[in-house]
Amino acid sequence: MHTNEEILKVLAEIKPGLHPAADDELIKTGLLDSVEVMQLVMALGEEFDVEITPADLREENFHTIAALCAMVNRLEEE
Amino acid sequence: MSYTSFGYLFLFLPLVWVLWAVLPRRGRPAVLLAASLLFYWISSGRYLIWMLAAAAVTWLTGLLLGRLDTLSATTRPELSPAGRKTFKKQLTGAKRLAVGGGAAVLLGVFLWLKYWPFAARSIAALLDRMPGALSLTVPSYVLPLGISFVTLMAVGYLVDVYRGSCRPAAHYWQVLSFLCFWPHVVEGPFDRWDSLSGPLLDPPRPSYKNLTFGVQRVVWGLFKKMVIADRANMYVKAVFDDYTQYSGLAVVVGTLLYTLQLYAEFSGCMDIVLGSAECFGIPLAENFRQPFFSRTVGEFWRRWHITLGAWLREYLFQPLILSGPWKSLGKFCRTRLGAAAGRSLPVWAALGVTWVAIGWWHGAGWLYLVYGLYYFFWQLLGEIFEPIFTARIPRLAELRSRRWYRLFQVLRTCLLVLGGMLIFRANGTKAAIAMFRSLTVPYAGSLLIQLDARDLAVLAVGAVLLLAVDLLHEKGIAIRQRLAAAPLVLRWAVYIAGVLAILIFGAYGDNYDPAGFIYAQF
Amino acid sequence: MKALKGPALRIVAFCLALLVCVLLTGNYLMPHSNRYLEGYTAGGILGEDFDTIDVLVLGDSNAAQGIAPMKWYQDWGITGYTYGAAWFSVFNAYYRLKDIYSEQTPRVVVLCTDIVYSKRGSETYFDSAVNNISGELFPLLRYHDNWKELNAENLLQPHDYSWRDPNKGFMPLTGVAGYGGGDYMYDQGRQAIPLLTELYLDRIVRLCEDKGSQLLLITVPAATSWNHSRHNGIQAYADARGLTYIDYNLDPAGMLGLDWATDTPDSGSHLNVLGAIKLTDVLGEYLTQNYDLPDHRGKAGFEHWDDDARTWTDTMDKAIPNAMQAAGLTQ
Repeated sequence: MHTNEEILKVLAEIKPGLHPAADDELIKTGLLDSVEVMQLVMALGEEFDVEITPADLREENFHTIAALCAMVNRLEEE
Repeated sequence: MSYTSFGYLFLFLPLVWVLWAVLPRRGRPAVLLAASLLFYWISSGRYLIWMLAAAAVTWLTGLLLGRLDTLSATTRPELSPAGRKTFKKQLTGAKRLAVGGGAAVLLGVFLWLKYWPFAARSIAALLDRMPGALSLTVPSYVLPLGISFVTLMAVGYLVDVYRGSCRPAAHYWQVLSFLCFWPHVVEGPFDRWDSLSGPLLDPPRPSYKNLTFGVQRVVWGLFKKMVIADRANMYVKAVFDDYTQYSGLAVVVGTLLYTLQLYAEFSGCMDIVLGSAECFGIPLAENFRQPFFSRTVGEFWRRWHITLGAWLREYLFQPLILSGPWKSLGKFCRTRLGAAAGRSLPVWAALGVTWVAIGWWHGAGWLYLVYGLYYFFWQLLGEIFEPIFTARIPRLAELRSRRWYRLFQVLRTCLLVLGGMLIFRANGTKAAIAMFRSLTVPYAGSLLIQLDARDLAVLAVGAVLLLAVDLLHEKGIAIRQRLAAAPLVLRWAVYIAGVLAILIFGAYGDNYDPAGFIYAQF
Repeated sequence: MKALKGPALRIVAFCLALLVCVLLTGNYLMPHSNRYLEGYTAGGILGEDFDTIDVLVLGDSNAAQGIAPMKWYQDWGITGYTYGAAWFSVFNAYYRLKDIYSEQTPRVVVLCTDIVYSKRGSETYFDSAVNNISGELFPLLRYHDNWKELNAENLLQPHDYSWRDPNKGFMPLTGVAGYGGGDYMYDQGRQAIPLLTELYLDRIVRLCEDKGSQLLLITVPAATSWNHSRHNGIQAYADARGLTYIDYNLDPAGMLGLDWATDTPDSGSHLNVLGAIKLTDVLGEYLTQNYDLPDHRGKAGFEHWDDDARTWTDTMDKAIPNAMQAAGLTQ
């Protein structure tokens, strides 16, 4: 099981200076744009060795740190 | 049939609405389909065959994908774990083949008709320069109405079914209703099956509110198109078609007016088509969200022609990055250039491909490639310098929250967008370069080109009105709801003034050139 | 149904309020003088005394530049008026004729048939019909751009439609640019009359019958816009309705003697004053021989016309030598 902190660490590499809380909106507020989301996808795939497919690229998987963490955990189990 | 024609506004739309409203609920989807087919047939005659065929391919492919999914659901539980894995692999292969085949047929016709003449022209020009007797005849095709929109909507539907994010349509007429729905067939928006199929196939009851709100929106769209866009068109046409005659301020005003024209016209057309659909209680996707308040060019494209950007993001940009070759590229960059480059370079490469696609979607020609790359250049510049700036300027985050800094960002974005507009409207790449150069040459002639001072005054008032409405929307104020709640006399006065403004100040009749919709030609 | 009654009433009430506003605004924006109702001087007919016009010519620019009614008055005392406007259509003709009947009762209505097929290149016949008819029903659509002419002085100035045209709708052109394209009346096909146009032609025929006017169809010579298949289309229509049709492109009586080298100002699409005088002459001959048209010269109530005849003579004394010179017919 991965934790929100691990996700935050990856996020910090992509966008330094961003410290959202676990339930802060990332997409609707514009904190992450589509380029940064894809950089995050690449980084998560590499860091946790999971395969994120286009079908996973839904807002509900990306809108908060908690959602991201849940997705990574789910993908790792599959 | 143009959306601004008498026939559409006063015959087609009212008659279809009345027929739709008086029929019982079960008959309503049939009215919508029949109206769409009629609209398409009136507008493009025998090309209706293409529409029927494209819908058939889409429907059958969707059905096949659905069958494969059903097969998987019934067979999988009976297999051993090892068998399940091979079965899943086989099934994914079959599904890929199906979606790839369907999309290839749809895109193949589209790419062939839209891009082969351009490619052949380029190859022929190359062959001419080389020794030898090789030559190539350049074909010229008539594009079926709305092919650039319908093809992408159909492919989007197939991919959604493939990914399992929506269920396939069971009947042919349903897919046909979706693809050739008359409000979005000419200029978009790119609608999605999962959000449109509900209201389209089982339309809500006729309602006074939907009707009046829809009509109001149509009227607002007509105002933008007829009063602002068609008037600006005359100035713009003169400056851009005869660009060697103009320089400096004339080119600046011409570009400003073209930006105003394109925005008024494209968003006005969207108001007309979304308003038309709203009369029937069908919500189409919004294509604009106050684009000129954007702080970056990337944000501009998320607010301008929203559904095109969304389509390319979901069906090109993201799948590209997650594809095999891109993963290899990522690995290569990571091992050779470090982790940061491994993350960024593949994404930037996909971004480049996406911008080329945006450019070339607008037309087959080198100019449109330049147009796409122009925006790619500015966005990439931002991507590269962003981390450097954040690291070097610690106050940046605080600065960005300041009001004046935001205003500066908005103005900077507008300036870059104006440059893009100049390229977009120029008659070819050479003309665009010449026009950029001529900006430094002072212009001595009159700025009243094709239009008199009163026309320019109307344009200025129109622009301020557009800006005011956008500003209210940006602040989250729903203007139509507010107006609907106002006393009857005030409300009616506003509506009547709006219609009269179109009739009086509309740029129609003998003193003006009629101008077609720009986006209908893409 | 009951639930729909309230909204339906409200929609009807709103449409009525809108209609009233559109009509009032249209009326307000009409030109201050009848001189400017059309590009040519067709509007001058409103300034003529009631029931003074015996021959009314309806047509487009070909008529306005090709038929000079004052010559008829000079030669035979016939009172005529050429009501010609650019891009005039059969639809326009019907509504204007209806209006004109409220002030005039012409004995003969001469309809110039090139308006049957005229439409702008960018339009379909249907669009053209719709635009023309709606323009007639709602003057605002035709005159909307007149807001540009408004200023502090004329904002509240009432309309004055008493202006009279001494040329009676005729627009003399003195330029010369010959047509050298040869015969253009050879096509054996027949161009059908568009459906809505035919409907309105029939309405004109009926209107003339009701008002007791005799209707004559003619075609003004126009080398670049007329042809024999159009001629056949009109001829078939005239035969079916029992109307007289004279196509001056064919010059059936052989009296016109038009010279395409000198009689056109724009290489064959219109007539200049030299061509117009020839056409007016033969048409006048035909009118005097075939219709009962009184001689009004010197009669009470036509003093204006005698004045206008003098002005007309002055105008022609300048225009004809100018055109002759341009045509190289004088030293």
